[in-house]
Amino acid sequence: MTEPLLSVRDLVVEFPKRKTRLTALDHVTFDIYPGEILGMVGESGAGKSLTGAAIIGLLEPPGHIAAGEIWLKEQRIDKLPYEQMRRLRGKRIAMIFQDPLTSLNPILTIADQLIETLQTHLPLSDKDARARAIQLLDEVGIPAASKRIDDYPHQFSGGMRQRVVIALALAGEPELIIADEPTTALDVSVQAQIIDVLKRMCHDYGTAVMLVTHDMGVIAEACDRVAVMYAGRIAEIGDVRQIVKDPQHPYTQGLMGSIPSLTERVDRLVQIPGSMPRLDAIPAGCAFNPRCTQQFDRCKQQRPDLIKTKKGQVACWLYDGESS
Amino acid sequence: MSSDLLLEVKNLSCHFDVSKPWLNRLIEREPQRFLTAVDNVSFNINRGETFALVGESGSGKSTIAKLIVDLIHPSSGQILFDGLSLRETQGETFKTLRRRIQMIFQDPFASLNPRWRVGDIIAEPIDAFGLAKGQGEVSKRVETLLDKVGLSGRDQHKYPHEFSGGQRQRIAIARALSAQPDFLVCDEPTSALDVSVQAQILNLMQDLQDEFGLTYLFISHDLSVVKHMANRIGVLYLGSMVENSESDQLFKQPAHPYTRMLLDAIPDHEMSGRRRKQVTGEIPSPIDPPSGCTFHPRCEFANTKCTQERPKIHEINGSFVSCWASAENRISISS
Repeated sequence: MTEPLLSVRDLVVEFPKRKTRLTALDHVTFDIYPGEILGMVGESGAGKSLTGAAIIGLLEPPGHIAAGEIWLKEQRIDKLPYEQMRRLRGKRIAMIFQDPLTSLNPILTIADQLIETLQTHLPLSDKDARARAIQLLDEVGIPAASKRIDDYPHQFSGGMRQRVVIALALAGEPELIIADEPTTALDVSVQAQIIDVLKRMCHDYGTAVMLVTHDMGVIAEACDRVAVMYAGRIAEIGDVRQIVKDPQHPYTQGLMGSIPSLTERVDRLVQIPGSMPRLDAIPAGCAFNPRCTQQFDRCKQQRPDLIKTKKGQVACWLYDGESS
Repeated sequence: MSSDLLLEVKNLSCHFDVSKPWLNRLIEREPQRFLTAVDNVSFNINRGETFALVGESGSGKSTIAKLIVDLIHPSSGQILFDGLSLRETQGETFKTLRRRIQMIFQDPFASLNPRWRVGDIIAEPIDAFGLAKGQGEVSKRVETLLDKVGLSGRDQHKYPHEFSGGQRQRIAIARALSAQPDFLVCDEPTSALDVSVQAQILNLMQDLQDEFGLTYLFISHDLSVVKHMANRIGVLYLGSMVENSESDQLFKQPAHPYTRMLLDAIPDHEMSGRRRKQVTGEIPSPIDPPSGCTFHPRCEFANTKCTQERPKIHEINGSFVSCWASAENRISISS
């Protein structure tokens, strides 16, 4: 088995409050292997985006990493000094944000922004950087790239802008891209194009992607493996096909059932009763136990860790005996 | 079945003036420019059914919703609700008509006044239409409504910020129901919500429809949600209705090339092995729409006629389609 590219071990992110601490990420552990696309799903507030922010070192203070380790190959990156982290960002780990409107600078042309990024990370002359920028735009599917490169962001449509953002992320030839809801602000028809570009580019460049989204359609389409998050913890990790077709954790089962089907006609959607707990009121034991239909005594007392089963890893006591 | 007809939209058009100020136009010798948001759209909604409008951003879905509740005024065309138009009635009839049509907006974080208590938000339509007398009775009604949407009566003393997105949308639904409407315009009611919460809201909407015999105009860009909710679906492209069919028919045999394109673009979240086809191009600007059929630059079946003449609406298998290729049998029905 190949070495993981990124390895997150027991990551804890806390937000101090006046008297207490809110634990936003609670012992999150997962790996990303070179060239793979790992999906991160969960409801709003589950900690998906926070995981991405913690990895790339962009946690908003007072949030901070309280425990755990993040390894990028042989380098531990969770405690790097600011200047070293700054160098690493964009070069080895890049980020794609949700809203292409706000992630591009409106008063600089696309050329300015791409060339700046390229020259920050790679030793390129102005001429070479421009040529490379045009090549990148061309690869992400912007028609007439050599002409459009001198346009401003407002002259592009939403889908085209997100392509530019992908080109920007790829400029430093990173090993890992964290894509935080890259298609949420786009139409379904454009979404398909963007996912395709992302998949193709990552394949061509051998870049691993952590794809944060709440859209199961995007997950099913793009990912190799999926991690399901609930209340700051990982509920289940597994192969995408297993998660979609044969989910193990009762939460994942409910989540999959709540999506309206296109192939079958159902009268009522499966609904998970209640809502995700607030961070200051996470129940003891398994965080999902008050909403779970299959809970028993142990769920209320002991918190389940990820258990390796034949299918994948799941944090649920139902599978305790099955660990392999 | 004319008595079943609740809402009738006839040749509805809406243009927005997007010209520069007149002095600039005079100096720069530019003509006035108009954006055609809705272009000659007609459809009917029967009592008790759910009619869905789908389309990409900029196709005019929300404009139609606002036209129906009379938040903006049409440039031409008519909207008849039980044979009456909001634009032509006055006095008591107008007030009753207003009461019967209510709206649920997309973003429950923006549609509820943050300075009002939930009870006051829900009580406002009750007071405005005089549906209950006295504080006690109003408060009792608010409690029943909160109960109906799955919240508790005690919640009426709280403020909107104390609730999650899904709960706020429940409050918005309770507010719409407080006027005792027959017809609800729901503009992307679940787009701002997580899937698991979406399922709760969609189930609630179906329960309320059964209980109060409501009719919905359901606007969404999510085709799987639309398939789950709607009896009939209207597909909009650049302000015009390109196809209007029964839900099952639309998904089984989409007649318009644009509908096919939309269906092909749905992500295969069930991993049934269906290949998702690449969508080509993007929706053009409504200020300067293409000639003839507005879809022709993206259509694989387009010929010279499509680029010159606007297609007329014709009927196939109960679907109303506006497409030359389909009218001339240039495309096969089953895909």
